[in-house]
Amino acid sequence: MNFAIETNGLSKYYGRVHAVDAVNLRVKPGEIYGFLGLNGAGKTTTIRALLGMIRPSAGSVKVLGQAVGPNGRGPWRNVGHLVERPAAYPELTVRENLEIARRLQGISDKDATSRVIERLTLAPYADRKAGTLSTGNFQRLGLARALLHEPELLILDEPANGLDPAGVVEIRMLLENLTREKGVTVFMSSHILTEVDRLATRIGIIHKGRLIEELEAEKLEELRSRRLEIKARNLEAAQSALTQAGFAVKASEGAILLNEARAIDAPDEVATLLVNAGTPPTRLAVEQEDLEEHFLRLTGEKE
Amino acid sequence: MNAFLSAFWAETLKARRSKVSLVTAAGFSIFPIIGGLFMIIMKDPEEARAMGLIGAKAQLLTGGAADWPTYLNFLSLGTAGAGAILFAFITAWVFGREFAEHTVKELLALPTRREIIVGAKFVLTALWILGLTLLIYMIGLGIGAAVGLPSWSLELAWTSFWSLMTTALLTVMLMPIVALFASAGRGYLPPLGWAFSTLALAQVAGLMGWGDWFPWSVPGLFSLMFSAVYGQRAEQIGIHSYILVLLTFIIGIAATFAWWRSADQTR
Repeated sequence: MNFAIETNGLSKYYGRVHAVDAVNLRVKPGEIYGFLGLNGAGKTTTIRALLGMIRPSAGSVKVLGQAVGPNGRGPWRNVGHLVERPAAYPELTVRENLEIARRLQGISDKDATSRVIERLTLAPYADRKAGTLSTGNFQRLGLARALLHEPELLILDEPANGLDPAGVVEIRMLLENLTREKGVTVFMSSHILTEVDRLATRIGIIHKGRLIEELEAEKLEELRSRRLEIKARNLEAAQSALTQAGFAVKASEGAILLNEARAIDAPDEVATLLVNAGTPPTRLAVEQEDLEEHFLRLTGEKE
Repeated sequence: MNAFLSAFWAETLKARRSKVSLVTAAGFSIFPIIGGLFMIIMKDPEEARAMGLIGAKAQLLTGGAADWPTYLNFLSLGTAGAGAILFAFITAWVFGREFAEHTVKELLALPTRREIIVGAKFVLTALWILGLTLLIYMIGLGIGAAVGLPSWSLELAWTSFWSLMTTALLTVMLMPIVALFASAGRGYLPPLGWAFSTLALAQVAGLMGWGDWFPWSVPGLFSLMFSAVYGQRAEQIGIHSYILVLLTFIIGIAATFAWWRSADQTR
């Protein structure tokens, strides 16, 4: 299979510090891949390696089927990127900054600049110097540059940074539309977990340089879904009573989990059933572990 | 070629929109004006003294009389001295700003190769410096004519023009190492530190009599060759001096290209 992004044992060491350690990424075409990690986990180093900005200490990187190597080699005509906070020439206007990008991208269509200005709702600021823009509009300028050449693959580091809530929703819809309508692949890092949760079709969690988990769409769905968590003094008896009553029971770390709607919607009936079976519950709660909790538990930031 | 023209267009736009282009032009223009002032002082020391200007210092600095050869030579010497710092400032800005303002990351993963962008930066730097030199020559001609300096000849104008432009060109050839310091040092201070250090060392090397072996002394020594006052020291500079400047140029260019191509970019 041809992956949009493929790394094999990607590692980057700075002396004894393993900034990125043997990361194997596989991002399929058309996916929105959320790349999560704490500060210093290795997200930006990975992104820079994907873009050929740093030389891996070990391993290899392929982007859109092409090896990314030293000397700036790569399929950059088809890749849009935003690395860390956006940068622009402050004394140049928004339009001039994008015009530079258009020419360096080798795009002959002069209307491309105006189109992307419209798309990112930057028209009121087009002739304003970039140095005078608000943080949110500066971010939009960075995104406009990434989208200017209508790339197949977007590699975005914190794309929602500095945007107001309306802007966050707007960018989410823009990325969703690009994926749905044009089959664009998006690889994005973010610290706004709810955003990633809503947008991503797959999530990779990087911690201390290692890719510690990849969550597929189904697992994400499962995380998003509610469940009834039951604890009892005699878990086995409780489990057997619930199974006999026709519930699909799942055991998990000293608790019983019920995912069915009839259990979640009527915990009182479940409680009655357990009391009648002689194993009254000691705890009965409708739970929903979100991505944030999962992430924090996984990275050891939450006991 | 299209890619180069695009990169060059981008570089010129950045330079045109920046205040640095005006500041460097204004800063360098002061130089022929000061020279013109010295000429006025030396032309009529009594009058100058009456006006409160110091005649002795003017004579010390220009080292000659109030005439065209002295004035034009002053411009050439100034280009080698003050130019070394001003030109380094321009080079440091063209290369260092991308790191100081974190815009370098927008230049690395593009269909336009990094070598083309660096090449466009070098060409812009050279044209900028030579343009400024041409500007001070033109201003100098205007001021010299306004002051009414004696001993004008077309031959002198031509010789001094080439002396000035060659001095500037020799200085330009020392700039790639400044560009390397701006790139590898990721900002403005390392290249400016380098420029001041080499200027100081160039003075020491010149005083010790082995300036012809020190590339950073060569532009100054070259400008002296055309001096009516210091011309006797002109034999110091030889073909080996030019070769050393050329080698410095080649090493600077090669190292800057290699650095942009291969070094880790974390800004």
